[in-house]
Amino acid sequence: MDKKGFEPKILAFCCNWCAYAGADLAGVSRMQYPPNIRIIRVMCSGRVEPELVVKALSLGTDGVLVLGCHIGDCHYISGNHRTVKRMAILERILGYLGIDPARVKLEWVSAAEGARFAQVVSDFTSKIKELGPIPLQELRP
Amino acid sequence: MSMIDNVQNLAREWLDSKEVDAIFGLKEQDGYIAPYLFTDVGELSCLVISNQYRLCYTCRPAKENILSLMLQTEPNAKIGVVVRGCEERALIELAKRGQVDLKRIKILGVACSKEDAEECRCEKPYPGNLVLGEKVEGVSGDENVNALLSKSLPERRAFWKHEFSKCIKCYGCRNVCPMCICKDCKMEQELYTETGWLPPGIPMFHFIRFYHISDRCIGCGECEKACPVDIPLLTIFKLLQKDVKDLFDYEAGMDVEQEEPLLTTLDETPMREEVMDVGV
Amino acid sequence: MLEYKNVLTTCPYCGAGCNFYLQVMNGKLIGVMPCKSHTVSQGKLCVKGWNAAEFVTSKDRLTKPLIKRGGNFAEASWDEALDTIAKKLKEHRDVDPDSIAVLSSAKCTNEENYLMMKFARVVLGTNSVDHCARLCHASTVVGLVQSFGSGAMTNSVRELEYADCILVIGSNTTEQHPLIARYILRATENGAKLIVIDPRAIPLTYFADYHLKQKPGTDVAVFNGFMNVILSDGLEDKEFIKERTEGFEELKEAVKEYTPERVEEITGIPRDKLIEAARTYAGAKRASLIYSMGITQHTTGVDNVSSSANLAMLTGNVGKESTGVNPLRGQNNVQGACDMGALPNVYSGYQSVADEKVRAKFGSAWNVELPQKPGLTVVEMMNEADKGNIKAMYIMGENPMISDPDTSHVRKGLENLEFLVVQDIFLTETAQLADVVLPATSYAEKEGTFTSTERLVQMVRKAIEPLGDSKADWEIICNLAKMMGSREFGYSSPAEIMDEIASLTPSYGGIVYDRLRSGGLHWPCPSREHTGTPYLHKEKFTRANGKGKFWGIEFKEPAELPDEEYPFTLTTGRIMFHFHTGTMTRKTELLNREVPTGYVEVAPKDAARLGLANGEFALVQTRRGQIKIKALVTERVPEGVIFIPFHFAECAANVLTNPALDPKAKIPEFKVCAAKLEKVKVS
Ligand code: SF4
Ligand code: SF4
Ligand code: SF4
Repeated sequence: MDKKGFEPKILAFCCNWCAYAGADLAGVSRMQYPPNIRIIRVMCSGRVEPELVVKALSLGTDGVLVLGCHIGDCHYISGNHRTVKRMAILERILGYLGIDPARVKLEWVSAAEGARFAQVVSDFTSKIKELGPIPLQELRP
Repeated sequence: MSMIDNVQNLAREWLDSKEVDAIFGLKEQDGYIAPYLFTDVGELSCLVISNQYRLCYTCRPAKENILSLMLQTEPNAKIGVVVRGCEERALIELAKRGQVDLKRIKILGVACSKEDAEECRCEKPYPGNLVLGEKVEGVSGDENVNALLSKSLPERRAFWKHEFSKCIKCYGCRNVCPMCICKDCKMEQELYTETGWLPPGIPMFHFIRFYHISDRCIGCGECEKACPVDIPLLTIFKLLQKDVKDLFDYEAGMDVEQEEPLLTTLDETPMREEVMDVGV
Repeated sequence: MLEYKNVLTTCPYCGAGCNFYLQVMNGKLIGVMPCKSHTVSQGKLCVKGWNAAEFVTSKDRLTKPLIKRGGNFAEASWDEALDTIAKKLKEHRDVDPDSIAVLSSAKCTNEENYLMMKFARVVLGTNSVDHCARLCHASTVVGLVQSFGSGAMTNSVRELEYADCILVIGSNTTEQHPLIARYILRATENGAKLIVIDPRAIPLTYFADYHLKQKPGTDVAVFNGFMNVILSDGLEDKEFIKERTEGFEELKEAVKEYTPERVEEITGIPRDKLIEAARTYAGAKRASLIYSMGITQHTTGVDNVSSSANLAMLTGNVGKESTGVNPLRGQNNVQGACDMGALPNVYSGYQSVADEKVRAKFGSAWNVELPQKPGLTVVEMMNEADKGNIKAMYIMGENPMISDPDTSHVRKGLENLEFLVVQDIFLTETAQLADVVLPATSYAEKEGTFTSTERLVQMVRKAIEPLGDSKADWEIICNLAKMMGSREFGYSSPAEIMDEIASLTPSYGGIVYDRLRSGGLHWPCPSREHTGTPYLHKEKFTRANGKGKFWGIEFKEPAELPDEEYPFTLTTGRIMFHFHTGTMTRKTELLNREVPTGYVEVAPKDAARLGLANGEFALVQTRRGQIKIKALVTERVPEGVIFIPFHFAECAANVLTNPALDPKAKIPEFKVCAAKLEKVKVS
């Protein structure tokens, strides 16, 4: 597909306590952000196994956001500590396999940060538009 | 006296003095070498050292480490193990996860030769607990790693496409890995990678292991050697070992007290600050 | 104190002949470990090998002899069971020895196959002994013997790695002989060209330079097309043809008509691709040809095999390293079962029953007058059983109810028998029909040898004690023979049996256990000093006059072609995760999880026309029968062709297949028949 006019498919895993509430706030406040995103609510960003991110990419998702509470604010105290570590490893493996690590991104969004949510989504969407469709098919015979 | 004589003699001493009830080592018979549990001093003349086999592996279908099976089956025994660098590191990682009780294992640590180290591309060809032999320097740098790093992202994709397309889903890489000890393996599950299909899901099938073993790989290289189609799996594990060191200042297999970074909080095992800044 | 050891043995699944260690702790199997110093496997295994310990101790293993009484099986003692068998077999033998037939087993050891054929000939007095090689490579034995003089793989597996060109036809090597595919891939990574000729896309096609998709059953035309191109380009090896072969003119005449245009019409292979591939094969310095059941299981099986031999001889690709014509044999010991003479027309080492001198030699070694009349082949046995001419059968380690073509016919035949003995490790579909079932041991509980596809004779070692009351097949045969009054079965060990084999079988003459312990030997190995023969026909061919023979062969259509009523071509085969009739693999958790049941592969366009979606059930019908089976919609099969793996009893492909036979080899046409397909309406 041509990069011009390319509308990426983007998936965001949002934690129940912060990021999802942030997304809700963005919606209630009628903030504008690109419609490319689909949200999956999870209880904690620590619930997001990297395998799920890879599965999303494998199924043709062009970029995956993982959004959780800021460090220190996790409802489960330290769930997001694990997330940040895992995402660092995930990004590196993707890079070694030839997938641009920028296609996955971890961000902290609190329940009060509706505007930040909209901003993160906008930035990420333009980044993925720049990168073009996910080239995972190229890895398969 | 040669190295192997020293090892045999020490093993004999340990058995004779009842310091241990058995010695786990490699035995040569009819020109074939394989792991064996020596309980009879008379058999020790067949004890050999070879880099062909590791003495630390998971037995299937039990899905338990061989030493842990031995210790469970014989609850009062103490076992002496002829251990090289990689095996000691594996034992340390297994002990961290409650798989083996190091108090019931007596380590007969031996150093590997330069040739063996080179063949295994091993960075630390000796155990911390060295009992016999002279340390030699480990191998530094790795051709395959450098070759991969010099490739662009599209080149890497082309490279792995060829490699992963060869995979015949033998599960050998997982079966031989001393660190693959899960009873329920995600690689077998339909949720992650479609079953009954060749080649198995690219990149999911291999990704699962890369990620799960990232902070516990001890670099024995068995996975790559077991691969019937020569997929250079160790390349990624070597890179990840470096990343883990870089990110968490952690090395697998060094210290039983050190917990694995991916299972601990940032307070217990911090992550390098710059990375936190960049990534978050 | 604890005991823990590793026992080196040979894989009980495919003919690749990998070795591995069985890990034994306190007398129990606790795992499999690859053997790093083994020539083929080199510390690697496929998924079946890795899981070869699990079925051994399955709770479904037979552990007691069973006798059927009033339609139900009751446990019995060995004495009772053997006594029943001895009495019954004697009754039938005394009336007419040829009313008894025996199936030996490609899963059993060489020693056991040797004993089984000796039992049939010495104790029962019939030559009607055969085994499943009839169903896979009977055409190889006939075809390669008439071309080269020896019906086995000409070269060894490891040599493949150094070929410049590898032509694979009718072999899905990756799934059927995974560890042989290893060497094909290594060759391509060394720069070798790979030509795959197969109607389906198979894992090897990802790496092929040419994938030629012929219509099923048109292989002779493909080969003739290759040779036509080679001859018109003058790429044949003139010196080799002159010095080493005969019949060249006949061949030239026969292939003249097979121009690329005509071959395209018959096979559907675009002429340009055919020409390029033919030039690539002919241009290579060392070209290896690999084939398997894709070309043997046809009514033209022998023609296909001899055509492949023609092609190799035409380009001088025989008798040198990394070349040759290499049939990949399916079972772990199908090569050995043939070598041992578990065939109706030969004794061990392919020594002909019809040859009086040979008969006299075996007769004097065994102290009997041997039967002269050649015996029946597998499919003929079933036919004769159906007609009532075969009255009793003894089946060792085979499951014809799943493996043979036209299942309902097989069932009728077996049910029509007056007496059926089945000796196996599980109560298979066939064993369920038996009057007496004898519990045998698996490979892990006995000693012996297997001969792999590359003619490599290797040790099988006993790792654990027999389960329950089960006994090794060789012991059972000896006990029964003794009970029937024979004095020729007094062996104390398999090693002793091998000594007898060596003394009567020139190609195994130098094979003794003491030599095998430190590694296998490639036959021919005529004497104790001989180090074995990795590749055949080096200076001269094995045929009597030392020359290879070209055969002019015309293309013939398969016995049953698609028509209006049955518009699809049905082809069958195996898959990576299961083996043959599934008796072992389907008792292994991991393998069952990978592929729990059968399916029919349908091309997307065909599926769309039938309104059939992936995963929906389809009804597949042929003139023989019908099955309900899940559809797998995939580009792997071309339009008009459907594929069904034959491992699964609940949707058994062989209910459908055509028992039409190759006239010389008597192999059935598993690979082509006409079928119709419809969506099953959900009620
Ligand atoms: S090198 Fe391979 S087998 Fe060894 S610990 Fe690492 S991942 Fe496991
Ligand atoms: S060992 Fe190689 S072929 Fe086997 S599953 Fe692992 S990567 Fe695939
Ligand atoms: S390739 Fe064949 S012989 Fe080797 S492990 Fe697999 S089934 Fe066994």
